[in-house]
Amino acid sequence: MSVKRPLADAPDHRPAPGDPVSRRWVEQLHPDHPRHEQALARLHDVLRRIALHELHRRRAQPPALAGPELDDVAQQCVDDALMNILARIDDFKGLSRFTTWAYTFAIFEVSSKLARHAWQRHPPSREQLELGEPPDTLATRPSEQAERREQLIVLRKAIEADLTPRQREVFVAIALNDVPIDVLALQLGSNRNAIYKNLFDARRKLRESLAAAGHPLTEEEPRA
Amino acid sequence: MMDPHELDELLRAQEGDSGCDAGVSIMDQYVEIELRGKDPSERFPGTAIHLRVCPGCRADHDGVLEAARRFGDIDPE
Repeated sequence: MSVKRPLADAPDHRPAPGDPVSRRWVEQLHPDHPRHEQALARLHDVLRRIALHELHRRRAQPPALAGPELDDVAQQCVDDALMNILARIDDFKGLSRFTTWAYTFAIFEVSSKLARHAWQRHPPSREQLELGEPPDTLATRPSEQAERREQLIVLRKAIEADLTPRQREVFVAIALNDVPIDVLALQLGSNRNAIYKNLFDARRKLRESLAAAGHPLTEEEPRA
Repeated sequence: MMDPHELDELLRAQEGDSGCDAGVSIMDQYVEIELRGKDPSERFPGTAIHLRVCPGCRADHDGVLEAARRFGDIDPE
């Protein structure tokens, strides 16, 4: 998933916005500024350190990159982040520090590239997208209370009968089989936001189905 | 095996959730409010709800927050 921010409608020739440090960044990153190359090199350096740090922070999640491959991915993240920052620098309105704004580009690139690597190596299997045998999360045991068992049976029927094919596919993959949302988005040729909307709508519908069958859920505070 | 709380989590769909895209353009502002020790949910309630539910966006948010904390506001000179 590539990060798209809207481009400014027209060049803005007003003084650079934001605090003094942010203004210096915006001014010096302009191609005509005498310190352009130095500013670019400094930003490249910090973005590289951020990309490497973020790749290490996410090392527990697939595809578990290491060594030269990790360095290559970090470099790609920095190059793409830097290109996007320069293309959208007129969008910077000084609502945050320039550096925080710039760091988001590096983090989103890491997120996007890790998802693509994970998808290329381990695309979701057909079984992860279809509701076959009840997953462990939906299995019932004889020792469970009858009401609870009935609730899960209703839920399973609702997944089969009340969701659209796309909602079912998304819910089964993400909610029941732990397929990462960005990996599923790549598999389905979609994007994170659209897949999340499918998931949200599926959850809403399943809650309604449970309530209609006499098993309403009370919304609790999410777990941290 | 799911307990009732897990089932509630599995089907969490909270009113006011702004979705993934809404957080992209304000993530820098959101994080800086947190860095100032304030509660970003007052200004960005939809994103605050969303970040509690969406693991993808939460990971991105945590990365930006960590980067801003760790690498700070460097000067170009």
